[in-house]
Amino acid sequence: MTSPVEDASATVPGMRSGAGETATKVVHDVDWTLLMTRAQDGDKDAYRRLLEGVTPYLRSLAARRFQNRGDIEDAVQEILLTVHAIRHTYDPARPFGPWLVAIAHRRIVDGLRRQGRSRAREVEWDEEHETFAAPETNLTEAASDGRVLREAIERLSPGQRDAIRMLKLQELSLKEAAAASGMSVAALKVAVHRGLKSLQKIFAKQGGKT
Amino acid sequence: MITTPGLIESLVAGAQPVRRLRPPVARAALWLLFAAGIVGLLAVSHGIRPDLGVRLVQASFVTGIAASALTGILAAVATFVVSLPDRSRLWLLLPAPALAVWVSTIGYGCLTGWVKVGADGIRLGEAIDCFATLALISAPLSLAILVMLRYTALLEPTRVAVMGGLAVSAIAATALSLFHSLDATIMVLMWNFGIAALLVGLATVFGKKMFSWVAPS
Repeated sequence: MTSPVEDASATVPGMRSGAGETATKVVHDVDWTLLMTRAQDGDKDAYRRLLEGVTPYLRSLAARRFQNRGDIEDAVQEILLTVHAIRHTYDPARPFGPWLVAIAHRRIVDGLRRQGRSRAREVEWDEEHETFAAPETNLTEAASDGRVLREAIERLSPGQRDAIRMLKLQELSLKEAAAASGMSVAALKVAVHRGLKSLQKIFAKQGGKT
Repeated sequence: MITTPGLIESLVAGAQPVRRLRPPVARAALWLLFAAGIVGLLAVSHGIRPDLGVRLVQASFVTGIAASALTGILAAVATFVVSLPDRSRLWLLLPAPALAVWVSTIGYGCLTGWVKVGADGIRLGEAIDCFATLALISAPLSLAILVMLRYTALLEPTRVAVMGGLAVSAIAATALSLFHSLDATIMVLMWNFGIAALLVGLATVFGKKMFSWVAPS
């Protein structure tokens, strides 16, 4: 058996691709109106199709006002609960779209108000709070550590500086570094070793100062 | 937290057939019928004011009572209409013309009331009697409209409660001017305005709580 509802829903994909947005909305509305009318009479299948059909639309409405995905989903669920609670107030003689949008709008505004109230008395945790107690996880500190290291390397002798840069910062192999610098592998090893010792001294001095 | 598909499944599982609401005008008529019944009962128990026949030929009195009755009727219709989610909020303006006329006649009564107070004084007994009548009319009407709107009004509780409060106040004022002689005009009006302001104030502050009390969402 082909019901008028199934006919209407069957035309939706074609309308989506072929006609404009307005036509799609009209078809949706006719479709949803029929589904809601049947849902009011206790047709669970029609009700499931209606709720599943309106959910993406409600999500797009909520996404215009909320950024957080959790907030959007909360708003969608609030709207669905309200639609369920007052589904007997829908009049089948009138289009379903405006009824749904009015409910959605109210619930979204309620959600925004709730959000505003909680923001007024709560402080959200951001990176600063989270990393405050553990300096090693602090990204801004790490960036300044990098700067200190680069400055220390600048103060090394040219041989040690090149060896540290190539072998430790650029992570070249001894062979590659030897080819690039023209130094022997043994000389590079010595330079890196001495460079690291010098860096340790530099940092030890800085640590002692501060 | 429940997922949205999970929520849909649980809503569908609990979806029983529902009885559709009657049109808002019919529901308003039902409430007004109830109001007429209450006023009628009070008229029997309390008695109509003795000088009603005389007053009914005075234009200002008739205008005032007609305007307050019309305000009550239109406000009731507006209340039931705007309680539905998809109706225009312009319906809130429906009782405005009648309300303007009613308020202007109250203003006039107030002025004449002042003069009479100077000559005769005010008896407290009359005022308390007035208040009792007012409470007797307002309480059941408020409760009835609250119950009738318990589900529909959840979306716009403040708007609906203010309009409903106006409907109750106007009906109560109409009834009072039928029962109480205007010799105590100023007291009657003070109670009138006091109760109207109280109802509207309570509606504004507790609108949401009032409705969540009768219809937990």
